[in-house]
Amino acid sequence: MRALIVLVSVSLSMLLTACSNPRQEVTVQLANEVLLPAHQQWRDSNAALVDAVETYCAAPQASADDLETAFYQAQSRWSHLQPLMVGPLSEGNRSWQVQFWPDKRNMVVRQTESLLDEADPLTRAQLEKASVVVQGLTAFEYVLFDESVALADSRGRYCPLLTGIAGHQLALSESVLALWNEPGGMLAQLRDFPNERYATADEGLAAILRTQITGVDVLKKKLGTPMGRLNQGVVQPYQAEAWRSRQSIENLQASLQGAQAVWERVRSLVSDAALVKDIDQAYAAVANQLAALPAPLMVLVQEPAHRETLATLYAALDNLENRQQTELARNLNIQIGFNANDGD
Amino acid sequence: MSLTRRKLLGAGAAMAGVAALGGWALWTGTAGESPLLLSARNDDAGQHYAVGYYLNGKRAFATPVAERCHAVARHPFLPVALYVGRRPARESYLIDLRDGRLLQTLHSQPDRHFYGHAVFHARGEWLYTTENDTREPGRGVLGRYRLDQASLRLTHDGEAATHGVGPHELAWMPDGESLVIGNGGIRTEGGSREEMNLDAMAPSLVIMSRHGELISKETLADAQSSIRHLDVAADGTVITGQQYHGPAYNSVPLLAIKRPGEAYQPFPVSRAQLAMMDQYTASIAIHSEQRQVAMTAPRGNRFFIWDLDSGDTLLDTPMSDCAGVGAVPGGFAVTSGQGKCRYYDSRTAEVQSQWLELPGGWWDNHLWLS
Repeated sequence: MRALIVLVSVSLSMLLTACSNPRQEVTVQLANEVLLPAHQQWRDSNAALVDAVETYCAAPQASADDLETAFYQAQSRWSHLQPLMVGPLSEGNRSWQVQFWPDKRNMVVRQTESLLDEADPLTRAQLEKASVVVQGLTAFEYVLFDESVALADSRGRYCPLLTGIAGHQLALSESVLALWNEPGGMLAQLRDFPNERYATADEGLAAILRTQITGVDVLKKKLGTPMGRLNQGVVQPYQAEAWRSRQSIENLQASLQGAQAVWERVRSLVSDAALVKDIDQAYAAVANQLAALPAPLMVLVQEPAHRETLATLYAALDNLENRQQTELARNLNIQIGFNANDGD
Repeated sequence: MSLTRRKLLGAGAAMAGVAALGGWALWTGTAGESPLLLSARNDDAGQHYAVGYYLNGKRAFATPVAERCHAVARHPFLPVALYVGRRPARESYLIDLRDGRLLQTLHSQPDRHFYGHAVFHARGEWLYTTENDTREPGRGVLGRYRLDQASLRLTHDGEAATHGVGPHELAWMPDGESLVIGNGGIRTEGGSREEMNLDAMAPSLVIMSRHGELISKETLADAQSSIRHLDVAADGTVITGQQYHGPAYNSVPLLAIKRPGEAYQPFPVSRAQLAMMDQYTASIAIHSEQRQVAMTAPRGNRFFIWDLDSGDTLLDTPMSDCAGVGAVPGGFAVTSGQGKCRYYDSRTAEVQSQWLELPGGWWDNHLWLS
């Protein structure tokens, strides 16, 4: 009986694919050509980070340039992935292990230093047991870029941590990829309907769009927090994401490109040409303004001359979010949220 | 015996097959009649409804109401139910289940608002609700209403303290005279949903007589775990679900159990499962015959079934914005705020799933099955 049921399921799903349902086609394309590759690239950047740490820590005279480049790349891939992390990476508190932001109380510095004081040298097992605060890219960034850390002179103290974090990131990304690729895993759940997770392709597409729209909302937070929008207008430069590596704007750009990759695939499903044009323009406006910013975000927020530029950029992001959250969702008849966003 | 992920995925393929066959195959209900599911629901335009659907997908009624409702209290023998306004609602709605007619809009008392849950007493004369005293914000109130069974109208009759702050769900203990109440511990003010005391929360699990006398009051180790939803097994075992208001990356117990005669304590759930809940649990349902407890975690998009006695996992599965859950013969029915509703047959260790032919999405957090 079981074999018969599975066979019926497979043949029906093949039939559905053959019927050329545009929404299912777009969902499958997104999974195969956007979401999975973004996870794969994130994994690859973590593998490169492992190699770069190994090289740096093995050669006492090595400069940190290559290590910094590998870090920028890993952080950029993670940023690109955030609007695309449907499924496993968004579950089980996994994303906290990648990055600890916002860090309102500077916990990364205190916990990193106290962990290293207690465990000298730090072992991988100790790092695995420690808090997510010290397992991710934010702690790595602190060691690599904070002015208070003399990394070149303190490799014995910090290299075990850098090695451990890079290894943890690689293992995490490989475990997430495995959950995508295994039989019946996330990739299959965005391809063969119904399945354990989604009843229809529409549900899968809705999940992708919800994640992407949430990703755009996170961009607003990443820009608005250092601008002081959550702090009665008093700027908070040290609350910028990636302020130590001065990569806040580059990360925003990478996330925007991730979000836009979803839009590029979804565009064909939208029945309103004017809305398509509006959303295209909304992406272009944000991208152009980000590209024109003349200095790192933590510097810009502290200069009154740039306040208006940043406020205009924030408004452009807000416009993009609203277009997608209300008009696009309505056009596609996709429900953005209910209990999950507003519980009791 | 718990399911491994691999076995579950195998089961998932089978589930898909059953669903694809499109039948009401696994479960046909009792006496040939499909159970009636009562719940609050929205439509795409944001209009609120009090709805009744048979589990086979047939709509009984969908009555527009002014305020969004939360849970439903079914009368023990008359065909009426109160759809309780979601906090800080000033209205609840008494509905005739035969045709969906709105019999009465029940207004909260001055300086009181509803907290979303209510129960009818088994003899059918009294209704009890959890309410907030807005003159002394957060002070939990058990509102008492009398139902005139001739005119089918509820009238406020009095109130008692819930012996705690911010009460939420309440349920009858097996004696039918005492109530168990989750005092969420969160103070809200006036007509607001804003939490005012997240750094000084005081959640508690209270058992009290319906007349107001405190029988027991217990707390959990973590004061930032708001005790909100609960269910009671036929033997008096209480399971509660918590919502944690501390840091998102902390791992704290989100379910707790009070077995008869024992202290209130965390229900054993693995750290991996806790991490999947995003610090937020919604509905709890106990299946007394099968000794199982089910729980929805809408923020984590996860649905669980555990063995009530051993704590073994029977099901740990993704489900988008899963909302209300209720026990039905053989297992549980689950609604969703975003996707299709499901029936899970948990009579054997290999849990089977079936999509229900109910409308998808917009179901509110709780349901009543009868």
